[in-house]
Amino acid sequence: MSQQTMFTSGSFQSDSSSSVRAKVFGIGGAGVSLVDGLCLDGFDAVRSIAIDVDADVLSDCIAAEKIPIGRRLTRGMGTGGEISIGRKAVDEERDLIRKNLDGVDLVFLLAGLGGGTGGGAAPAIAKLARESGALVFAFTPLPFSWEKQRHQMADDALAELRKFANAVIPLPNDSLIQIGGADATALECFAQAGMNVSRGISAICSLVFRKGMIDVDFAHLRKAFNLRSGRTLFGFGEGKGADAIRHALRDLLLCPMLHLPDVSRAADVLLITVNGGPDMNMTALQQVAGSIREEFRAGEHVVFGAHVDENMGDRVEICVLGATDLEAGIPAADVAPAADPVLTTSPKAKKAKPVSRSHASKLKRETAAAKKKAKREKAAAKAPDDQEFFDFMQTENQRGIFGDQGKRNLYDGEDLDVPTYLRKGIKIDV
Amino acid sequence: MSKILGAVEIGTQKAKAMVGVLSPSGDLKVVAAASVKNEGVRKGEIVDYRKTASAVHAAIEEAETAAGAKIDEVYLAQTGSHLRGTQLRGSSSTAASDNRVEYSDVERASEEAKRKKPEEGRSFVHHVRSPVVLDDRIVEDPVGMCGSSIEIGYWAIEGENNAIQESYDIVHGYGRLDITELFVSSIASGAIVAGSDLQHSGVLVVDVGAGVTDYVLYRHGHIAATGVVCVGGDHISGDLSMGLRILEPYAEDIKIEHGKAMVDESDAKEDVWLIGNKTIGDRTVSRKSICQVINARVVELFEIIAKEIGSLLDPDMVASGVLLTGGGSLLPGIDRVAENVLGLRTEKASFPSGIEGDLAHPGNATVLGLLHYGLKDSAVPSESNGSEGLLKKLVHLVGMN
Repeated sequence: MSQQTMFTSGSFQSDSSSSVRAKVFGIGGAGVSLVDGLCLDGFDAVRSIAIDVDADVLSDCIAAEKIPIGRRLTRGMGTGGEISIGRKAVDEERDLIRKNLDGVDLVFLLAGLGGGTGGGAAPAIAKLARESGALVFAFTPLPFSWEKQRHQMADDALAELRKFANAVIPLPNDSLIQIGGADATALECFAQAGMNVSRGISAICSLVFRKGMIDVDFAHLRKAFNLRSGRTLFGFGEGKGADAIRHALRDLLLCPMLHLPDVSRAADVLLITVNGGPDMNMTALQQVAGSIREEFRAGEHVVFGAHVDENMGDRVEICVLGATDLEAGIPAADVAPAADPVLTTSPKAKKAKPVSRSHASKLKRETAAAKKKAKREKAAAKAPDDQEFFDFMQTENQRGIFGDQGKRNLYDGEDLDVPTYLRKGIKIDV
Repeated sequence: MSKILGAVEIGTQKAKAMVGVLSPSGDLKVVAAASVKNEGVRKGEIVDYRKTASAVHAAIEEAETAAGAKIDEVYLAQTGSHLRGTQLRGSSSTAASDNRVEYSDVERASEEAKRKKPEEGRSFVHHVRSPVVLDDRIVEDPVGMCGSSIEIGYWAIEGENNAIQESYDIVHGYGRLDITELFVSSIASGAIVAGSDLQHSGVLVVDVGAGVTDYVLYRHGHIAATGVVCVGGDHISGDLSMGLRILEPYAEDIKIEHGKAMVDESDAKEDVWLIGNKTIGDRTVSRKSICQVINARVVELFEIIAKEIGSLLDPDMVASGVLLTGGGSLLPGIDRVAENVLGLRTEKASFPSGIEGDLAHPGNATVLGLLHYGLKDSAVPSESNGSEGLLKKLVHLVGMN
């Protein structure tokens, strides 16, 4: 699929009465290039701001708004990898950044944590954003394992960022080779990783800004992610054709982003968004929601949103964002809350609202919505049978063999608990 | 009457207990063995005290019941990343005017070598003596020989007090059972799979466990190095889980059924069902992918061992090559990888005669080795500290009596 179709299907704000304001901040070289990627993908629903110490990076950036920081400190020369310079640079421009955060409810931070600007400025900006009352989601590329020194820096920055952001989604460069296709070039791998970020932001935004048939609002999102989280999970899947939604689920479970060492295997809060065409199968949708909840052992706090978009045709996209170890640093209990096997959406998100884009589709959807309730009850009643279909996911899930220790198994600067193939960049076909 | 001895290993996957007696012919006879699944240990270290204690106690109880006897004392194995080995050296000059070495000269050199104290919160587990250098000669016991300077070396293994204390407490917590001695796992495994002829010609014993890999290098019949690498069979399962994007229990099964440490040409053509029951959620993956994931991990493991041992791994001095044991040694092709990486002839280890059937599982090497030591000690009590120069074991455990 192309990113275009996702975003040109109507600006998020146009069919929304929501007064929620969101902004994307790209910080440092990697963050700014991700913002560029968003702009190229046609993502214009949310204002993007590029922030960097390096004046050259900013002048090449195509984002509409740019904030140079640290001009007095470095005269636009970059940080030279010094985290302290990145931090001080934010201090210098604190008022300007605060002004940009004023009235913003939802902040997306994009920052590579192996650099001086990303590593130093991103936690500082996250702190300012939290102070101004925003919900902060951070997407953070991490250096390769073989970049030993930068890797350690990024680790520290990640811990710092987690103190302030509501959810931090690490994007380790080690995983790039697994993300791309079999013969993908380096450039394609990076582009794909960037596209995953776009998808994540888009999924969260669509949840808040678009009226869906299963609708949630910003308050639900805020409530779910109110606590600071330790580990997160983030994944994306898509499917096409007659059984699109189940294909999308299978694709989601194979998403390389969900199979990384620092990704949690269980979620204390879980956000699920499903976007599909008008023919999206309701029973399947129910099952998929239930299966995802079960797969990630999601407890009470599930935010589920489903959207019908005619431009999707016979395609379905599922995006999940989860967090665990709420209140960072406190290890979660041994056993995650057991998933409720009954197939329901979050109690908060049950109200169905038709999308009012065209009269015909509205009618169609209202009928669908009316049928839905009955079907849901039916589906819930016969859930045990339906579950057999997804039998393969019911086995005991784990947080990963070493996931609960928190202590890095370092040898010569590399974490031995991270699979060797990931650290050495060996592409594994699945 | 023969003494009944126990051996306990608190492993990452299982807690193991064995009961053994010395047969009249002097052979080791294992009369009972028990292993209980243990979920309280990760990478050789206790992360859940109570779970571990109940697994260990269950194993000891089961072994006692099977043996029909109470264990008098146990030998306990110790592993984990907290263990560190260093070479200590000390020297002295002969005091007597005729240059004849007296016991006190050796003692002085030995004291100097052992003067070094471990950091706060750590204690020595073993001081393993290396050969004595008398002037330019390498000798086993210099007392009575002529020479002017004596140099003594020890391979000293130290560990964290807390970790040692916890494993001690767990075993002691079983009816106030006495622990005779603590052994690092590598030394125990090495003792059972490498006989003294191999130790003299030089051999590296690598015990690949579930959570960690322990190794011991023998040169000239002495321990020249020991070590723990915090990588084991669990890492392979974890890697497969992530690499193939399946749940860990399935990954573990895939490893056992289809895993190989080497990637062969034919693997690309072979498809493997990941779950095996061919349900709707099942899918196939090329066996090549499975082997690639494992190969990367195993190659790295032996690269770390080679790096840690360094120049001591001289092929001329390690003429008997490498012996692999531990549950991880069951992985097909792991010996080929070790041979390629270490540049030494590698074989999967076997046990001495008399250890057969289920008992001869490579995962039992450490606990069998403990019994082996224990029975050797009690058979020749007068020699255990004196002329048994091979292993002069000194245990200094803070807070233990």
